[in-house]
Amino acid sequence: MYQENGDFDQSSISHGSGMTQADNAFSQNHLSTFSMEDQSYPQNDVAAAVAAASALEMELQQQLEIEQCYTNKTGAEMPHDSSNWQEMAGFNAENGHYHHQTQNPAADFNQMYAAASSMVPDAPDLLNIFPLPRSSLLPNFSQKSPAFLASLGLLGDVNVSPSADGSSASSGVLYDPLLPLNLPPQPPLLRELFHSLPHGGGVYSLGGGLFTNGVDDREANVGLYQNGVDRVYEFNAAEIGGKNRDGIKDAKHFATEKHRRVLLNDKYQALRSLVPTPTKNDRASIVGDAIRYIDELKMTVAELKGLVEKKRCARERLKRPKMEENEGESKCVGDMNGSSLRSSWLHRKSKNTEVDVRIIDDEITVKLVQQKRINCLLFVSKVLDELQLDLHHVAGGLIGDYYSYLFNSKICEGSIVYASAVANKLIEVVDKQYAAVPPPAGSY
Amino acid sequence: MGGGGMDSETHNADNGGDERFKSKNLEAERRRRKKLGDRQLELRALVPNITNMTKSTIITDAITYIEELKLTVEELGNQLLQMEATSVDEEKIKLKEIDDEKEMKKHGIKVEVEAEVNHICGTKLWIRVVFQKKRGALTKLMEAISLLGIDLIDTTITTSRGAVLFTSFGQGIRAGLPEADQMRKYLLEIIRD
Repeated sequence: MYQENGDFDQSSISHGSGMTQADNAFSQNHLSTFSMEDQSYPQNDVAAAVAAASALEMELQQQLEIEQCYTNKTGAEMPHDSSNWQEMAGFNAENGHYHHQTQNPAADFNQMYAAASSMVPDAPDLLNIFPLPRSSLLPNFSQKSPAFLASLGLLGDVNVSPSADGSSASSGVLYDPLLPLNLPPQPPLLRELFHSLPHGGGVYSLGGGLFTNGVDDREANVGLYQNGVDRVYEFNAAEIGGKNRDGIKDAKHFATEKHRRVLLNDKYQALRSLVPTPTKNDRASIVGDAIRYIDELKMTVAELKGLVEKKRCARERLKRPKMEENEGESKCVGDMNGSSLRSSWLHRKSKNTEVDVRIIDDEITVKLVQQKRINCLLFVSKVLDELQLDLHHVAGGLIGDYYSYLFNSKICEGSIVYASAVANKLIEVVDKQYAAVPPPAGSY
Repeated sequence: MGGGGMDSETHNADNGGDERFKSKNLEAERRRRKKLGDRQLELRALVPNITNMTKSTIITDAITYIEELKLTVEELGNQLLQMEATSVDEEKIKLKEIDDEKEMKKHGIKVEVEAEVNHICGTKLWIRVVFQKKRGALTKLMEAISLLGIDLIDTTITTSRGAVLFTSFGQGIRAGLPEADQMRKYLLEIIRD
């Protein structure tokens, strides 16, 4: 659970920065109470394990206790805490509405974006204060806390459940500081918050018995948090009921976020358009095709460079008079030492053609698979003539729906044929013919 | 598409009352995300990008790098073409062709150009041609066969000592297939040129 969130550090920094101020206040004021209460908790082992991970988690504990204080004793600590709350209230004003109910999930979106963006300016300074583990955990607070709290709840301690309810309802530190603002109506508000959560209500498995969901949901929630930054925002917004106070600003940020996503999608499409043989139109395939194509291009560049070198050597050998021939030769040999045997391999696939070109020294082997439609041998033969390839052997025929051929040729010395040129040419010609000829009416 | 990934989530959000996430889908979604991430890391490793390492910049850097490589390939290709303009290579190629002929004669094999066309039940044909290896000879032969309205099913072409052996199973496409003997004569004419 915890480890999977690592790659969201950057994207969720905005989350973290907002929480750090709250955490600061907590750590200053409640360290002592924490150590006391820590021992008193039956789920100490779980809490201790988590606390050992980082200071942040200790603070989360503190917050739990604070909330418990709120719910169980409306006593001494409250004023003290509420002062801190109010401190932060100004900062977290925009987040305040998170605690209010909302029927509009889109509004939740907006709130989330507002919160995120409002926290961005503070991100750099605050995060630098804390040790590294904090930054990895901070963004995950909203992601982990429900799980964390749920695990506490699962342990079945009655004491914890109300506080767990409270903090999980707010889904993390981010929203906890503001809880006291709503203190008077708190207990009912908590329930309202729960009910307002679209699926969050069903997510948190708590000993309180409000909901009876198993570990799956917790994991599901966390797992879903693993998805892109977009997802994190969406989920957090969804699970926190909140009033749409800053509607306009939220809408703007929602639009910004959407714009950002649109831009990213456009970039993927641009990448797709670059590669010659695009396959499936999903992000993973696009990146995979790009990787393949980059490898191919690098190989082609290496091949071409080798060819240029060879040509240059040949030329120089000619230009120099006989006397200096030895020098010229040795220089050329030195250049080509690393690549004395030219070799390159290329596999290209188009919609109805597959070409595999292998070149070793001056032998070129081409494997061609093409959907049956035309007499492709004719066109291939033409291409081979054009490229001045000396055909040695051809074998192939009709297999099922496809023509499959293997051509063994020799490259004439001094020719500038290179693998990708051959492949490109072949595919171009074959595809052109394929398109030009209408499909056969039926088997003859 | 990125949009595809969103669907499962909105689906979940809609099931407000649904207490159980589709855990089967969750695993698949996780795997999908992981696959995309791994591939992005791979791409990142390939590209010598010098800017931010965020998801979007890796894509843009990849795009610039690919375009760069494409330009390099083009440049080098042009360079080669220019270098090719020397007469040396043309001569070499011509020499090679002459060598082939010499080799044929050297081995004392008089390559008799042959052509055979036999009918095999219905419109199926068996064709066998031997001719002298020369640039463009095969193309001429293929053109002739296609003119006759024969579609080649299984083909084998072998070269040895300056001679080319062409064997193939073919099938007539059009209805009006000439007589086997006529076809044979036609082919013989073609390859004799």
